Amino acid sequence: MQIAVKNISKDFGKKRNAVHAIKDISLEVDHGEFLGIMGPSGAGKTTLLNMISTNQRPDHGQIIIDGLDLTQFHDRDQAKYRRNKMGFIYQSFELLDSLNVKENVILPLALNRSNKKLIEERFNHMMQLLNIEKLSDRSVDELSLGQRQIVAAARALINNPEILFADEPTGSLDSKSATILLNYMQLINQKEKTTIIMATHDAFTASYCSRVVFIKDGVVFSEVVNPGNRDKFFEQIINMQRTIGGGDYFNVSQNY
Amino acid sequence: MYRKIIKRSLSNMRDSYLIYILACSFAIGVYGILLSMGDNPSLHFALRFWGSFINDTTMIMSSIFAFCAFIYMIYVGGFFIKQQRNEFLTFEKLGMQRWVIVAISFFQTIIVQAIAWVIGITLMLIFQKFMGMLLFYLMRVRFNFEMHISLSSIWLLIRVFFISTLILSIINAIKTIRILQKKKRRPLIKTRWWLRIPAGLFGIILLLTAQVCTLYLFKDMHTISYSAKPLTEIMYIMGADIFGTYLVYFGFLPSILNIMQRIHSVAYSGVNIFSFKYMKERLFQNISILWFVTELSAMALALLTFCYFGYQAVHQNYNSAYPFELAANKNTVKVIREELKKNDAKVKGSYRTDVKINLVSYYSKAEQSYNRQPMTFMSYSDYMSLPKRMRKGNSKINSHQFLKIGFSSSVMYNNHEKEHDIQVKDAPMIPTAKLGYSFPYGSSMHFGPMMIVPNKYYEKMPAEVKDTFYGWDFKKGDRLSHAQMQKLNSYRDAYYMKVNFKSTLAKSSIEVMKKEPNKYEAATYTQAGFLRQGGVKKRFKQGGGFYLFIVALFSVALLIALGSVLTLRILLRDDYQSRQLRTLQKIGVEESEIKGIIRRENTLTFLIPIIFALIQSFVAIAMFDFGRHISKNIILIYGGYIVLYGLFGLISFQVSWRGVKQKFNL
Repeated sequence: MQIAVKNISKDFGKKRNAVHAIKDISLEVDHGEFLGIMGPSGAGKTTLLNMISTNQRPDHGQIIIDGLDLTQFHDRDQAKYRRNKMGFIYQSFELLDSLNVKENVILPLALNRSNKKLIEERFNHMMQLLNIEKLSDRSVDELSLGQRQIVAAARALINNPEILFADEPTGSLDSKSATILLNYMQLINQKEKTTIIMATHDAFTASYCSRVVFIKDGVVFSEVVNPGNRDKFFEQIINMQRTIGGGDYFNVSQNY
Repeated sequence: MYRKIIKRSLSNMRDSYLIYILACSFAIGVYGILLSMGDNPSLHFALRFWGSFINDTTMIMSSIFAFCAFIYMIYVGGFFIKQQRNEFLTFEKLGMQRWVIVAISFFQTIIVQAIAWVIGITLMLIFQKFMGMLLFYLMRVRFNFEMHISLSSIWLLIRVFFISTLILSIINAIKTIRILQKKKRRPLIKTRWWLRIPAGLFGIILLLTAQVCTLYLFKDMHTISYSAKPLTEIMYIMGADIFGTYLVYFGFLPSILNIMQRIHSVAYSGVNIFSFKYMKERLFQNISILWFVTELSAMALALLTFCYFGYQAVHQNYNSAYPFELAANKNTVKVIREELKKNDAKVKGSYRTDVKINLVSYYSKAEQSYNRQPMTFMSYSDYMSLPKRMRKGNSKINSHQFLKIGFSSSVMYNNHEKEHDIQVKDAPMIPTAKLGYSFPYGSSMHFGPMMIVPNKYYEKMPAEVKDTFYGWDFKKGDRLSHAQMQKLNSYRDAYYMKVNFKSTLAKSSIEVMKKEPNKYEAATYTQAGFLRQGGVKKRFKQGGGFYLFIVALFSVALLIALGSVLTLRILLRDDYQSRQLRTLQKIGVEESEIKGIIRRENTLTFLIPIIFALIQSFVAIAMFDFGRHISKNIILIYGGYIVLYGLFGLISFQVSWRGVKQKFNL
């Protein structure tokens, strides 16, 4: 077990207007696991992801990664840990428009003040792995949405993170681009043994995971484990979505 | 709903609006104070001596101030409209009619201006008395400044408020219309390195040559009265500084950042990979503003330099002309003493010095002419026994040296040169004499130059005429009445000296006449009987105080305006730039590193203009401080300006960081 989330909760707002985003959630993630977090809008997926990735502090509870209780860390140490051990992919890509593709990708290594040789080596490796060598000198404006997300994935993976966090990574992509990205994520998960935690409300995206945790109104509602057959797993996810009532028109057909 | 939109816009940009409103309020407050001072009865009564001068000056100054403040408001007010560009375009996309969007920006401006005016008028009411007292203090007037605002001033303020607010609101409304009509995306800045690199290098060459030229100016400035060279140098320096600075901003600094960005060992280290590009973008965006602020700061520093040296020159001239409140010679001392006894004047100090008048001839280097004239001689010990202030503007001498005190033909004094080979009638030739411009007992007491000589020389030298000078200092003035002064007027001239120049000095002589000669001849000199400078001193102090008040007010206002422009430029980042910082935070950049980027941005924005302004204002010192070391006072004035400017930079950094922190929940 790599990650242990113990009884965490998080409120937003004050007193009467307080919203209980996460209520006493506990879960465990194994090393090299591809975990999906699903749930309807406002269920608390992103909040849970942000807390596990130390971008937000829980009001209560513990988050233990590799035996270290990160909630006890100082902000500065959390940021250092985040930079060294974690990678992030966001729905809105979060690429820096002022930098070109190469600069965007190597940014985490540059921030860590890694040596130039290592930067070049890792960059070339990632470009080959994700098959985007041709894009390296392009500016972000010249990329398609799918290419942008792959570049974002390359950036997230360049410092060889132990855990990759992906918040709605396919949210802005068409189905073809989404499939390419998800295949890459699976490849990385299998080849590099990177633990991936992905928040999504899309059943197709979630079907690439090895396990999916469903949350509703801030609590874990249930979980589904991939039986080894993606079609079957997809069906199970949709059934669960129907049960919670969170699937929207575009993600789950009412007559499926 | 529109009320809510306006309220939210004001709330979103509250830090920036607060700085703008405070700067405007300060300007409005100062304008109101200057305006209301013009017709303040207590000011009129206390300074009736000045007639309508103070009133006219405050009116002119308040108008100039109002005009400058208005330009500032037009310029800076536009920043806020630009900041709302995306918001206005979204409103239009959502179907809001154009005139409604324009009306929103119009009323927003009215609200901001109204708040600024309310605070400004409140500041005026609170600080009018304080500023009046400060003015009286600086003018050394012991009088109670009564707070007063006339109806005409109030009416004028109301009219200015309505007209200026209306014009500003219309201008901002027009800016909004232009935004809605253009709808262009963020304009891409063309890098054009082929143009920037040579332009930047040319700019550096211009600035360097301007500095070399400034060094020459220090040397050449004293020839300004008979050579066109210094003027040509000044013109070149000004042109080279102004254009050179722009070209450096346009080409050199971005090129440096670009080179840094391309050196991977530097750029691929920490946030440098981002910050070099970010700074370059910010620099591209702010070139004109940075240049504008640099030139205005240089102008402010140059103005302060001119004011300082101007004041020094007038003060020095005043000191050399009027060292005692009352001075007399041996012919008039009796009658003056009698008059002083009558009005019970409290004498604080009285002085008496014997002098000899003899004929001299010498070649004057400064005037480039051969002079033959009578000269007043005073012994070294007598000179040293006079109050220190008499010697302030003169070269220091010891008991064996000679000092020639003469009238200065230039604005600033240059005591470095010496006079040589001065022949004195029936006395040894003076080989070298140091120079000075402060006359003991005042220049008006002397008909020509004066010489301080060693005691032995003085004792042995013969005199064509012997005289004694008297001087008094009083506690609370000499109290001479108008009638007494009229009586004393007939003693203004003590005697007249007609010089009969022959082929040699030994054969020449001075004829003393008691009565005024009917026909003035070139070789006739008048010895003043008495000199009263108490009134002039008072007037000088009052004028100087008023001058200081106005200069200080304008300098502070200029500083606030420039500082706030830079601060607002930093605070009002466009959405694109804010998003970039936000992204950095999301991908794991530490808070301290983002803070570092903001700090670098602030430093770059504030440091560059002040450095270039200081380089440029060096020429102002060269124009006045020639041949002398840079005075401590000028360093203090510049230091004060830099400290206040730095304070703005520091506040700007704090506010900017606070804004980023709030926005990103750091």
